[in-house]
Amino acid sequence: MVLEVENLSKNFGKTTVFKDISFSVDKGEIVCIKGKSGEGKTTLLRCLNNLEIADKGSIKINDLYLCKDENGHIQYAKKSELQNIRQEIGLVFQSFNLFPHMNVMENLLEAPVFLKKMSKENIHKRAAELLKQLELEGKEDSYPYQLSGGQKQRVAIARACMLNPSILCFDEPTSALDETTRMQISKIIRDLSSQGIAIIIVTHDNGFVNEISERVITLSDGSITIG
Amino acid sequence: MESKVLEMLVPMALKGLATTIGVFAVTLLVSIPLSIAVAKLRMSKNKIISSLTGAYIYVMRGTPLLLQLMFIFFGFYYVPYIGYAFSRQQAIFIAFILNYTAYFAEIFRGGINSIDAGQYEASEVLGLGKSHTFMKIILPQVIKNVMPSIGNEVITLVKDTSLVYILGASDILKAAKSVSNAYAAFSPYIYIGIVYLLITAVLTKILNKIESKYNYYR
Repeated sequence: MVLEVENLSKNFGKTTVFKDISFSVDKGEIVCIKGKSGEGKTTLLRCLNNLEIADKGSIKINDLYLCKDENGHIQYAKKSELQNIRQEIGLVFQSFNLFPHMNVMENLLEAPVFLKKMSKENIHKRAAELLKQLELEGKEDSYPYQLSGGQKQRVAIARACMLNPSILCFDEPTSALDETTRMQISKIIRDLSSQGIAIIIVTHDNGFVNEISERVITLSDGSITIG
Repeated sequence: MESKVLEMLVPMALKGLATTIGVFAVTLLVSIPLSIAVAKLRMSKNKIISSLTGAYIYVMRGTPLLLQLMFIFFGFYYVPYIGYAFSRQQAIFIAFILNYTAYFAEIFRGGINSIDAGQYEASEVLGLGKSHTFMKIILPQVIKNVMPSIGNEVITLVKDTSLVYILGASDILKAAKSVSNAYAAFSPYIYIGIVYLLITAVLTKILNKIESKYNYYR
């Protein structure tokens, strides 16, 4: 299992977003998290990516605990461990959040160069590989404002993949896409999964769920059904 | 007579120009980086730090620069415990830097606030450190956003440098005044006005260059 979530709970003040959620995701699996808006799908995804702090429970990513339950108290990973855990899980934001002042290539290189993950040469090789796989060849020098929605999304995917994560999360990936780009994105997601990356997709797009997911987790009233 | 006026004015004005440009350049070079730090303090989650910074900005923006110059040069000596007699030059630099840092800090604060939270989140998810995120992701976008307002303040600063007369410093305006008194002529003021216009013209050009340098993206 690349991801194991156990008894995870999250409150915003007195409001319970979700309670005692447990599920796991296997290598290369495509899992959709479904639910009406406001049911906490995105919050769950943000907890997995450490953008939101859970209140209870544990999240284990590739044998590393992002957070762990210890005698009823949640214990978060130390800063030094966090950096390693982080690189195992990537997130493609709904609004992509590309860096507008950097071109496509710079967007891709920023994190791996900063983290010194690989040699410069290998980083560039990996970038070229991803640009080819995501049909972005020739866009290296373009700035985000010059790209279409689908292209921006693919740059965001490439940027996340530069760190070779085991898990890639998508927040509402089809919300800004037309039919053609939507088919393109499902193909890309299947490709990534066949390369062994586990995919977690948060969406309320039922058509997309039926088309792509191998397993569906439905969030409603703060708890989940797996099916 | 006009040639005599110019004969006296030119060397004095050149000396004065050194003061004017010196105050302008030192103030800019020190207060812009300093103001980014002050803006961060102003936005600190620590209530004591943010309100102390807020008080500083309030005082600096709420009183005339002229008064601040006078206070630091003449008045600071009498402050109990920390009183100190600054030299004229020290007093000028301190007052201008403190005053302009406050204005720039408010501009930068607005600029930093205008950056979408998604930029911080994307940086965090990618594992970019906090300071790297600020310097490489946030600040370049902030600078693009604040350039027009910074430019405005820069132009104002050129003219504010004339306030140093209150401490008896010899800038270009003082040169004009001396020559005007000596010859009972108004023309020195006209010439000096033209010098200010020329400085502003050059600065406007430079500021436009910087702005357009950041126009490569939207």
